Amino acid sequence: MTAADLVIIGAGPAGMAAARTAADAGLSVLLLDEQPRPGGQIYRDVERVAPVRGALLGEDYTAGLPLARGLDGDRITRVPGATVWSIENGTRVAWTAEGRVRQAAGRRLLLATGALERPMPLPGWTLHGVMTAGAGQILLKQSGIVSGNAVLVGAGPLLYLVAAQMARAGSPPRALVETQTPRDLSAAFRHGSGALRGWRLMLKGIGLLAELRRAGVPRHRAARSIAIEGTGRAEAVCFQSGGRRHRVTCDTVYLHHGVVPNTQASRAIGVEHRWNAGQHAFEPVTDADGRTSLRTVFAAGDGAGIGGAKAAELAGRVAALAIARDLGAIDDTALAAATRPLRHALARERAPRAFIDAAYPPFAEALLPADDTIICRCEEVTAGAIRGFARLGCLGPNQAKAFGRVGMGPCQGRSCGLTVSAILARENGRTPEETGYFRIRPPLKPVTLGELAALTAADENEIDRRR
Amino acid sequence: MQPDYAIIGGGVVGLSVAWGLLKRGFRVLVLDGGDRTYRASRGNFGLIWVQSKGLNEPAYARWTRNSAAAWAGFAAELADATGMPLGLNQAGGFDYHLDEAALERRVAQYEGLKAALGGDYPFEVLGHNALKREEPNIGPRVAGAILHHGDGHVNPLRLLRALAGDVRRLGGEVRTGVEVIDVVHGDGFTLTLADGGTVRAARVVLSAGLGAMTLGPKLGFLAPVRPQRGQVLVTEKLPKLMNRPSGIIRQVDEGGVQIGDSNEEVGFDDGVTLETAAAIAARAVAVFPALERAQLVRSWAALRIMSPDGLPIYQKSPTMPGASLVTCHSGITLAAAHARFLPDWLEDTAEAPDLEVFREDRFAVS
Repeated sequence: MTAADLVIIGAGPAGMAAARTAADAGLSVLLLDEQPRPGGQIYRDVERVAPVRGALLGEDYTAGLPLARGLDGDRITRVPGATVWSIENGTRVAWTAEGRVRQAAGRRLLLATGALERPMPLPGWTLHGVMTAGAGQILLKQSGIVSGNAVLVGAGPLLYLVAAQMARAGSPPRALVETQTPRDLSAAFRHGSGALRGWRLMLKGIGLLAELRRAGVPRHRAARSIAIEGTGRAEAVCFQSGGRRHRVTCDTVYLHHGVVPNTQASRAIGVEHRWNAGQHAFEPVTDADGRTSLRTVFAAGDGAGIGGAKAAELAGRVAALAIARDLGAIDDTALAAATRPLRHALARERAPRAFIDAAYPPFAEALLPADDTIICRCEEVTAGAIRGFARLGCLGPNQAKAFGRVGMGPCQGRSCGLTVSAILARENGRTPEETGYFRIRPPLKPVTLGELAALTAADENEIDRRR
Repeated sequence: MQPDYAIIGGGVVGLSVAWGLLKRGFRVLVLDGGDRTYRASRGNFGLIWVQSKGLNEPAYARWTRNSAAAWAGFAAELADATGMPLGLNQAGGFDYHLDEAALERRVAQYEGLKAALGGDYPFEVLGHNALKREEPNIGPRVAGAILHHGDGHVNPLRLLRALAGDVRRLGGEVRTGVEVIDVVHGDGFTLTLADGGTVRAARVVLSAGLGAMTLGPKLGFLAPVRPQRGQVLVTEKLPKLMNRPSGIIRQVDEGGVQIGDSNEEVGFDDGVTLETAAAIAARAVAVFPALERAQLVRSWAALRIMSPDGLPIYQKSPTMPGASLVTCHSGITLAAAHARFLPDWLEDTAEAPDLEVFREDRFAVS
């Protein structure tokens, strides 16, 4: 078993920044990351890719370079390709890397697990050729692969960014089918001051739209009744917009309507979570330092509430400093001095968030899908089945799981969890908080029985005798 | 109209009793907890298991066998009504042993029980080679197994769902998300709920699992039950690997291999632990080496409802006539008995099963 002052799960902006900050304060850091190279989703593989496709992917991508380069040094132990599948007693983690199971115990644990794209269960979303915009972007980042015949569906800044990146790569999307409405935008102006403070971000958005206009990408706004058609694979996107029905043929559909915190690890640890109504998602309850309801466990970055890459980096540093103070590596004076500018910057970064959340809300049809739409892909459970379980007395997702296997598959409910909770809440007339979420247990990711068995100290006959 | 019975607890035990009562024409109200209530009904292993039951109490062995024998008809009727097959398979089950001496000790116990039951306890002992013919995928370290022909398994979640659906279809009222906090007797029963509401019923069945620990004494019961944790692992769906279930490993009808079991005295902690998961995984791999490469996709823990001697408790309240306590840790195995035979016991009919040995005064300090 490895020991470290701080174990960090996730090498995205929050995890990378926290690792550097903690190491600078004198802590030993173990940085576990699922990917072979650091960067997280936003700065995926940035050290290798930035020199090759940096211009195409833009400044927001290459901004990750210094963070990734900052991971060199004595006090940071990096374990790439590490699939963390168990966290016990808050700070003891087990992971698989290169087919071997390892364990580590940290004095503190920082969850920097980032965001997941919000699943967008629409009619036809399980057809071949349909993927999330983020998955499409991964192909572009890592391999430079772009579909030449794609339609983008949904809402949010990432949708515009991916569309612009596709255009720069020479394959602009066939169409942008946007689900946000003019009403969403006017509602968002209630958060107007935040929007003004985030002016740079807004300008960037306007710049992307201008880019798409130049590339001749048609935009359909306030789209409704969206369905993906095809036999076996996606052939067209059908929708209502501007008072008429549209059908755009394509072979690839990128779906995106925002990102949500990846709370699988924080749920597995069992720390408190709350419903963030503005972001339509659960997030772990944290204090200003990122400390969860468990004293030894911290969360920073999008995994603790969506704020974007810059905010994640700053939150990672704040958490690392609080941890350094916890462990006596720095004193209160040093903590206050180092943290003050970070908190100011963090407030600036977070200011436009409420505006963005309101301007690009998740698509209502995908939050509460039609009865025959599959919502649990692993076990092929439809939205209608979940409504049926509500009629059988299921108040929450754990009962529904027992009744219909929803969330029992290898993804551990990652992709259907929020939808199941939303449907049950609506059917039972209860709040998302009252309805709750799947109870997440290890393994967070599948592990082989052989790998697990290798950890046992007891011999099997010993167990036989105990029976 | 006031129900004839209020059933406190809507797990497999409570719903089985409710279903049986509804079939007899009684009006039934089931009061059930919420999403995060401790529920053995959704954490259990799904065995309909005869062997090892009642080694020291032949009456328990008999009650278990009667239930196992009633299961086929019970499952067929439920499946017929709900259109949902329960995945019942009662073609026998194995008790695997890696250790020759442990196997021999167990066989000696079974011989004793067989004698106590007048020879009516059908089991076979299979050495490694004989077992290999039945289960070709066992590993070289398996010393042998006991095959009990009365054993079997079922999909326990389908059972739960079928009962939940059919109890409603039969006219039972089920209220979920409620907690009974007090019961008053006098011209029937008045149950006070945590949300401030009250419910009235002529009779009460307390089948609230571990909830009986707090509610039992208010109804005049000792309810000496405690939680005992069991952890379970389940793999990805696999091609057929085994023919029969065992107490520690079974392949479910959906294809996953389910691995148990642990017995841990840890109070109300229903968390899983790496140490136990690793140990039961190691044992399963020893029995079926092919499992070494299988992906584990889920693990969970649930709390058994254990009495001091491990046997069920069937008790009529000495202070509140009309109130009965029904609790056991084998709610799946005994579901058929609870549905078919317990209504007679509740109603004191001439056909009532003799459940005297399961009275809770066996635990009373004399």
